[in-house]
This record gives sequence, C-alpha cells and structure tokens, in this order.
Amino acid sequence: MLSFVLRRLGQSSILILIMSILVFVGMYVVSDPVAVLAGEDFTEEDRIALAEELGVNRPLVVQYLSFLKNIAQGDFGTSFVYNRPVLDLILERLPATLEVAVLAIGIGLTIGIPLGIYSGLNQRKPATKAISFTTTVGYSIPNFWQALLLILCFSVWLKWLPASGRGDTTDLFGIPVSFLNWDGLSHMLLPAINLAIYKICMQARLSRSGTQEVMYQDYMTFARAKGIGRDRLIRRHLMRNILIPIVTITGLELGGLIAFSTVTETVFSWPGIGKLLLDSIHHADRPIVVAYLILITLMFVTINFIVDVLYALLDPRIRYK
Amino acid sequence: MNKPEPTALQRFAKIFRGHPMAIAGLFGITFFILVAIFAPWIAPQNPYDQMQLDILDGLLPPGSTLGTGIVSILGTDALGRDILSAVMYGLRISLFVAFVAVLVGSGIGVILGLLAAQKRGWVETVIMRAVDLKISFPGILLALMLLAMFGTGVDKVIFALIIGAWASKARLVRAVALSEMKKEYIDAARLAGLSDWRIMTRFLLPNSISPVLVVLPMSISGAIGAEATLSFLGVGVPITEPSLGLLIANGNDYLLSGKWWISIFPGLVLVLMVLCINVVADRLRDHANPYLRGKD
Amino acid sequence: MSMIDTNTLIEVQDLTIAYPMADGEVFRALKGISLEVARGQIVGVVGESGAGKSTIGKATLGLLDDNAVIETGGVRLDEARVSHFEEHMFADVRGKKVGYIYQNPMTALNPVLTIGEQIIEAITANTDKRGDAARAYAIELLEQAEVPLPEDRLDKYPHQLSGGLCQRIVFAIAVSAKPDLIIADEPTTALDVTVQKAVLDTLKRLAKRDNIAIILITHDMGVVAEMCDYVYVLRHGAMVEHGPTADLMQSPTQDYTRELMAAIPRIDRKVERFAVPGGLGNATDRQRAIDYLMGNKADRQTANGDEPLLQVRGLSKVFTTAATLVSAANSFRAVDDVNFDVYPGETLGIVGESGSGKSTVGRMILGLHTPEAGAEIVYRGRDVSSITSKKDRLEHCKSLQCIFQDPYSSLNPRMSAGENITHALKAHGTLGRKEADQLAGDLMELVGLPRASRRKMPHAFSGGERQRIGIARALSFRPDFIFCDEPTSALDVTVQAELLNLLKDLQDELGLTLLFVSHDLSVVRQMCDRVLVMKSGQVVESGPCDKVLVDPDAEYTKGLLAAMPKFEFS
Repeated sequence: MLSFVLRRLGQSSILILIMSILVFVGMYVVSDPVAVLAGEDFTEEDRIALAEELGVNRPLVVQYLSFLKNIAQGDFGTSFVYNRPVLDLILERLPATLEVAVLAIGIGLTIGIPLGIYSGLNQRKPATKAISFTTTVGYSIPNFWQALLLILCFSVWLKWLPASGRGDTTDLFGIPVSFLNWDGLSHMLLPAINLAIYKICMQARLSRSGTQEVMYQDYMTFARAKGIGRDRLIRRHLMRNILIPIVTITGLELGGLIAFSTVTETVFSWPGIGKLLLDSIHHADRPIVVAYLILITLMFVTINFIVDVLYALLDPRIRYK
Repeated sequence: MNKPEPTALQRFAKIFRGHPMAIAGLFGITFFILVAIFAPWIAPQNPYDQMQLDILDGLLPPGSTLGTGIVSILGTDALGRDILSAVMYGLRISLFVAFVAVLVGSGIGVILGLLAAQKRGWVETVIMRAVDLKISFPGILLALMLLAMFGTGVDKVIFALIIGAWASKARLVRAVALSEMKKEYIDAARLAGLSDWRIMTRFLLPNSISPVLVVLPMSISGAIGAEATLSFLGVGVPITEPSLGLLIANGNDYLLSGKWWISIFPGLVLVLMVLCINVVADRLRDHANPYLRGKD
Repeated sequence: MSMIDTNTLIEVQDLTIAYPMADGEVFRALKGISLEVARGQIVGVVGESGAGKSTIGKATLGLLDDNAVIETGGVRLDEARVSHFEEHMFADVRGKKVGYIYQNPMTALNPVLTIGEQIIEAITANTDKRGDAARAYAIELLEQAEVPLPEDRLDKYPHQLSGGLCQRIVFAIAVSAKPDLIIADEPTTALDVTVQKAVLDTLKRLAKRDNIAIILITHDMGVVAEMCDYVYVLRHGAMVEHGPTADLMQSPTQDYTRELMAAIPRIDRKVERFAVPGGLGNATDRQRAIDYLMGNKADRQTANGDEPLLQVRGLSKVFTTAATLVSAANSFRAVDDVNFDVYPGETLGIVGESGSGKSTVGRMILGLHTPEAGAEIVYRGRDVSSITSKKDRLEHCKSLQCIFQDPYSSLNPRMSAGENITHALKAHGTLGRKEADQLAGDLMELVGLPRASRRKMPHAFSGGERQRIGIARALSFRPDFIFCDEPTSALDVTVQAELLNLLKDLQDELGLTLLFVSHDLSVVRQMCDRVLVMKSGQVVESGPCDKVLVDPDAEYTKGLLAAMPKFEFS
C-alpha cells in the first residue's frame, strides 16, 4: 500500500509539472505579453524596457524556472485589474465556490442514487421509464440554459428566490459562508440546483447501469439461491458492488462540478473563483488565469489521488492483490 | 441457420423497433440536419445581410410583420433580425462545429487507441499518460484555457473541442482492442504472416470500433452543448458567425425585461436537438449493453 | 413414473419452459420433462450444451429469468408446487430445503464480501444460530468441507483462494441448513481433474452423512458414473432415456445415448475412429482440396522419416508481470528446460493441468512467444532464430500452423467463413480472388462443411463448425506441422468425437505432423503416438502413450490416472 501511495504521489507530481509547463507556454509564450500590455504610443525602446521589466527577454528555461520558483513560494503575481496579490483574490473567493459545489453534490447523491437503484431493480415499471426519460431530458439541457430557465421561473415569475449575488454571509471559523442564514441560503439555492440537476441525472444513470450489471452476476443468483432476504441482498451484495464506481466517479465529478461552476457562477453572478476566471479571461488578466489553472490542477490531482486510494481501499480485489 | 443474413439497414431498424421515442429522435435529428443544410434557401431572410435588416424592426414579439413584409413567426432581436432565420443559420454553425470536432477528435482517438493496444511498450505508455493528463482535466476548463490562449473563432472552438474529444475514445478503443488482441484470431493472423498494419485495419479496427460508434451520438450532443456554453460565455464563435449559444447570450440581456423570445427560441431548438440525439444515443447504448439485450 | 411414493422428495412432471425470442419465435428450453428424486438419492441429469439441464434446477428454486414461461407441468417439492411459487414463498425453500451449487465457484461468491460474511449470512437466514454460535458453526462447516485453516479463511475474500477451495466453501454454504436436496449445476467443470475428484468425494460424503438428495447436472458421463445412482439423459430439452446408472451405461436403448457413450474417449485402449456419425463432404471438391494441399509436398519433404521434423532443446519461458499500482513486479517460470523431438507424420501429445505450461510450449514453437535465451528450436534442420529474410520467414510461418482452443474467438467475427480461410493468401498475393473463393469452398468440403456456407459469418456456425473452419484456415497454408491447442476442450463430447475423427482422417490423407496439447488424458490416448506429461513447466515423464498412459513411472502421472473417473463401457 505504501509503495502504491508513493508511486501515485510521484505520478501526480509529474502531472503537475507537465501542466505547469503547458500553462506557462500557453499563457506566456504563445502570445506576447508585451504586445498585450504595451500602449499604442510605445516606441521600440519602451517595448524593450517593458520586456526587461517583465523579464520576458530572458531565455525560456530561465523564465520558466523563475515562474516555477515564484509559484513554489506562493507568489502567483499581482492582478492587472485588481492590483492585489492573485493568491489572496482566489483564496477569498474559494469558499463561495466550494459551498455551492458541496451542496450540489449532496443533492445529486441523495436524489440520484435511490432513483438509479430503483430503476435498475424495476426495469419494466412505468416509473422507471419516466425516470429514464426525465434524466435524459435533464442532461440534455445545457447548464447555462437551465440556469436561465431557473431564473425566469423562480426569480422573474414566481419571485421566490433571488437571481444573483451571494447575499448575507455568516463567519464560520473566520470563513464567510452563506448557508447559515436564510438570505445567504436563498441566494445559494438556485446555483446549487443548477449544478445539481446534471449531477442527479448522471448519478441516476450511473447507479441504474451499475445495478443492472450487478443484478445479472452469478453471485447475485447464488445469493438468492442460498435464501438470504431481498433487503440484505440489496443492502450488502448490490450496494457494496455499485458503491465502488459511484465513489470513484463522484470524486472525479467534483472536479467537473468546479469546472462547470464557471458557467453557473457567471449566470448567477455568484462571487466564486469560476466567475473570477471568466472575468479575468475577458479582461486579459493573465496572472489570475495562470494562478487559477495551476491551483485547479493541483486540486484535481489531489482529488484523483484520494479517489485512487479510496478505490483501492473499497475493492478487496485491489487491496489484497 | 437457414435465415438470410440481415442487411445493415435491417439490423439498424431492429435496434429501434418498438421504441417510439428513439424513432422520434431519429426523425428529429434528420429534420434538424436538413434545416441546417438548406438554411440559406429556406430561411425567410439572411440575418447577416445588413441590407435586409432594419433597426426599426427591432425587438418585435413573435408573429409581427417586418418592414420587408415578412411575418416574423418567432419575433426579432434588437437589430431587427428575424429569430427564426437566425436560429436556422445558428443551427448550421452549431452542427458543423460539433460534427467536425467530434469526428476528427474521435478519429484521432481511435487511431491512438489502436496503436497503444497493438504496439504496447513505450508507445502505449506515452499515449495513455497523455490520455490520463487530458481526462484528469474537465473538458470545459480545458476549452476555456485553450480559447484564452489562442483567442476565439470557429476554427479555435473546433480545435478546443477536438482536444476535448479524442482522449475518451482512445481509452475506450484501447480497452476493447487490448481484449481483442488476446483473442486467438489475432494469433491466427500473426501466424499467417500478415503485417501489423493489415492486422490493425482488417482485424483490430472492425472488432474494436462499435463501442466508439455507440458513444458517438452522445459525444456530438456533448460537443453541441459545450460549443453553446463557450459561445454563451463569450469565448466561442465570433459575433459574425453566431451559433445557437451566442444567440441565447444575445437574448440574455433582454430576458429580465420580458423580451423572452430572443433567448428562449434558440434555447428550445438547442435543447430539442440535443434531446433528439440523446434519446437515440440512449437506445444505441441500451442495445449494446449485454445485460439488457433481449430483456426489453 | 408419476406413482406417488412417500419417499419421493421432488417430482418434475411434464415440465415445458419457453422463452419468447426477440424475433417473435419461442424457444423451449425444456419440452415435457418428467423426473423424480427420492430422499437421499443422487440423480444425474446429463446432456450436452443446449439440452436444457440447468433450467430444471432454476425452475425448482424460482431462479428462472423474468421472461421464462412455464407452459405445461411443474415441479413439486414435498408436495409443494414450487415451480408456481411467488418470489416471497421461496423463503422456506431456498437454502433451507434446497441448497444450490453453482457451476463456477469463482463467480458464485461475491467478490467484495468476506467468505465469513457470505457463510454466516446463509446460516443466519436459514438456521436459528446467531452471533458467535453462527461463527462457530461456519468454522465447523468449513472443516467438514475439508477447507484447511477454516478460521483464517473467514476473513479472506474469494479472489484470495483457489477455485477448488471456493467450491468447498460453496458446498459448506449449500449444506449449512441441512437441506433435503442439493442441486449441483456442473459443480466441477471449472476445476482441474485432480481437484475435481477430491471435491466430488467431499460432496458425496456430506450428502450421505445428512441423507441429502442430490440432482447432479453435468455433461460428463464420467462424473455421473462416479456419483449417481440413477441418471436421466436429456437432449435439446427433451428426455431421451433414463434408468439406473450402471444399466443405462452398459446397455443404452436409444441411439443418442449409444452415440454419447461411443463418443467418450477411452483411457484403457486406443480406438481407430469414434463410432459416431459424421459425413464427409463432396468427394470431387475434397479431392481438389487434397490435390491443392499435396501440390508441393514433394519439394517440402525432408530426406527421410527418421530425422526429426522439429527438435526442441532447453526451451524455457519466464513471464514477468509488470509492477501494478498495488503489487510489485512478479515473475514465474511457465516453461522450464523442455526438450523433445517430433518426427514427420507422428502425433506428439503434451498433457498437463492448467498452469503446466503446455500451451506456452506450442506458442513458442509457433513464434507467438519468444523463448528465453539458450533455447534451440530446430525445424527441418534449421534453427528457427536464424531465419531472417522476409520471404523465408513467411514460408516458415505457413509451414507451421495452429488449431486454436476457443472456437468462439479464433475466427475474425467481421469476416465471412471463406474470407477467414483465405484472407491471408490473398493478402500475400498467393491467390487471386477467384482461386481463393474456389479454394475456400473446397476446403470447407474437406472439413465436412457445405461449400455454400463459406459466405456466412462466423456467428452463424456452431462451436464444432467454427473449429472446422479454423482447421480449414490452418490447412490453407499447406502446412507440414500443426499445433493443436486443446482444440476440443470447448466442445461437447459428441462434437469432440466427430472433430477428432476428422483430424485423424486429415492426418492420414495429408501426412500431417501434429503436436497435440490437451488436459484430457483419454483424448491424448486416442490421438497421440507419444506423450509428454508436464507439471509446473517441466516434463515429468515422456514416452509412447501405450506405456505412459497405461503403466506410468512418475507419481504425478499415476495421480492423474487415478483421478480419472472410472466406469464400465458397454
């Protein structure tokens, strides 16, 4: 197990390194920052001076190493737009994003898995057909259009929930969170539902196909033949087997959810890191985009790592090989 | 044994027999594709010809008559464009981008997957590490990053979507091809002294491609959604070639002021099209699933 | 037959079970089957694939697929009509009155739950033992099923144990509530012959002790002879005949049963051909095929028959599994210093259990695996590793061919039968389209398939027919040497007999040299002149079949022979 963890850690570091090179090349080499920053009236000397100041006239390897060194020291540079350290900007918006993502996953799992298992066990019932069709419709509607419909329905027509912003926050261990007061929670609900709809559909489909597959295995027939009750059959034999893919995919989907929060946060003006990224792309605020991508890679790599370890722990076939 | 071999068409028809939703989906897809192809001939106006537009026709609700005498069934936008015409042209761009991106991306993925399975060794390691790298990163973020790097445009969106499409196919094909490689007919082909290239194209490819064909519709609908999302966010196609996503974004500003038709109609068409593809995709997937075969 | 006896435990009467098919037709797995089993009796239900024998067990326990329809008759267990029970009514039957033993023990146990949990849940469901008492009883059951270290096993997962041990655990579960009946569905098919014997002995002992009746479903007459008091023979869902085991095997009354008996390869003496019907193809076509195959025989002949066609020296193979996420790199010696010669026109057998390395030897000779350094494979007087030119390599390839084990994976499913046979010849430019088509047809007739069927796709053929196409493909290259890699292990016994007859015919007609690998000693006895016995990669014993398989020197070979099911032939 230890060698597995070490090997996996090694792989993760290489992944982060490759990603940092890609981001570096993409952001600093493909397009010339001098051209972006230089004003219309810049002379050739001004340009050289700017290049000197930005350090882009040095050899690429030197530039990359100093880029890496700065990151390692937690220095992601200063935002052009906000004129503040990038890391601070991202960290102060992170809780808002995570809060919504966790709520969305919670909703997705608690509704999606039971629906999926039910339809997997009752293939012929009309309810199953209805669930199946609803989930197909659910993931056929692009996230952003779903958001528009939610706003139109709950904010414009029904006027139940606010359409944008974060509302009041309460401090929890010094971190401002929304879910502890009604105003904050009401602002959170629409973005969370927006993200959750896709999760529900995916979880339902995943658990459905998992259930169907497991139900036809020999060990399920044998378990029935040895006389154990239906309740136990589903709770132990079925659940233990479909839990493994569900845990893995849920972990991986957390990454997907954070990616999609760029869309949701933009539509709902939710002040998280996703909206920050999009604003920064529009304003060509490179340091933020770079820092975001590096941090998000770090996060995905960590999540993937945890998922792999969990997978190995959950599946005895891997644990005791 | 004595029955004649069913033709490809008969087998295709058999997949859909008794599944009205999927058949409706097939018709829907055909309809949308035909509209997209023939848009320039059947659209009431060319929404990008400045000469045909009149700002005075702007923001008219569905059913209004324009200055040129055309009845605008779905209303007009701020510039006086007929929404129906804009949707028809938008459909063209959305479908074109998604089809090209997915077909090219899948083609690359299939070739890489087959190579990995057949050559093994370092070829496989390099390809599969690249796949891991790609897959650990959500597609929409990757596309955002690429577009932030290279700027926007139809070609760049297609490129970003190709980058998004190849990896999952490479992984899928490799997995299938690896299990095919273990089968004895491959040994037989090697004993017959056939070249690697022939084994790949005549033996491995035809026996490993079906899972990719099954997920292809789902990929296309995903690419349509992704392109719409990127365009909605303003990093996708340019304003001169608006896809459905960009039309929705344009109408977004008027949504809260009650001019819902500008955004809702392009959105409805988008959703309907994606839905049609997905019900067909579901049917194909269920049919390919051995645990459901003959059970429904 | 339907005489009600107080001693009758289970009675199947006129049972017909149908499955609606996708194309609107109905497939009847069982057609009016009747049988009965008395308390404590061991009854065999024997038949080849498609006989419907597993369906009987499933109908008794309510485990039929959802779309199965009972058209006539039913199953009575202790006067209860179990075939027509609702799902909830089986609570008192499954596990309590009837234990079930599954064909493949490795898939019958849930891979993610411990052995202990899987035994104890059955004990809790079917007896009144709970907690520590249930655990103690589980250990007791494992001991009785002759599972060594029973306490340790409780915390293990199925994949950590061998197939034989898993099957013993399945036995322990099946007898846990002391049921009246055990339905054993091919309980030893997945196991090696030496394990098979011990496992069956345990099953029989457990059943006799508690007076449990057994319905033993099997394709193997040998197992029936060892185990059963009474036997029913099924074919295509219909009853052929039944009777006390000894009587039925000594003097079968029906043609099919006679054929079934005649098809069983004998270990005690070699027969010229199996007495099973099997037509040859169109004589003109066959002759044309033989003429083609013999066409250049003269220039391929070595000087004389005394010189070996193939010499193998110091052949070894080490397989290394790469380090995976959770395990370090691992290597094991699959083949260890194997030496032998094969002479022109003879059949050399290699026999051994799974993991003995017998197939790996053949694959190295064919060049599908690379042997370890130091090995020497000399074919027709030339060291194989010295063949470098592309042309020579191709000629070498064609001269050594293979008949594969698995008929379901040895043909390219996307090519017609004819294309499978002649695709390579066309690719090499040896034959044009027309000649290739002609040859494909001739070869089909040569192996006993109608010429016209060359246009059909592989899935339209049965396992035995596919194996014939595989033979035709191997022959198309005009080989001198054919490696037969367990060519009949996936086939029913009557089909096996037909195929072995065909191989013998072809060898006589074409003067082929065969290397015949099998796990079945009696098949080797029928097919081979000389035999190598392999165990864990090494040759334990070698010599003429008449010696090695009759009066072996090695303990291992003696053990293999002793484990063979014994029965009297008619």
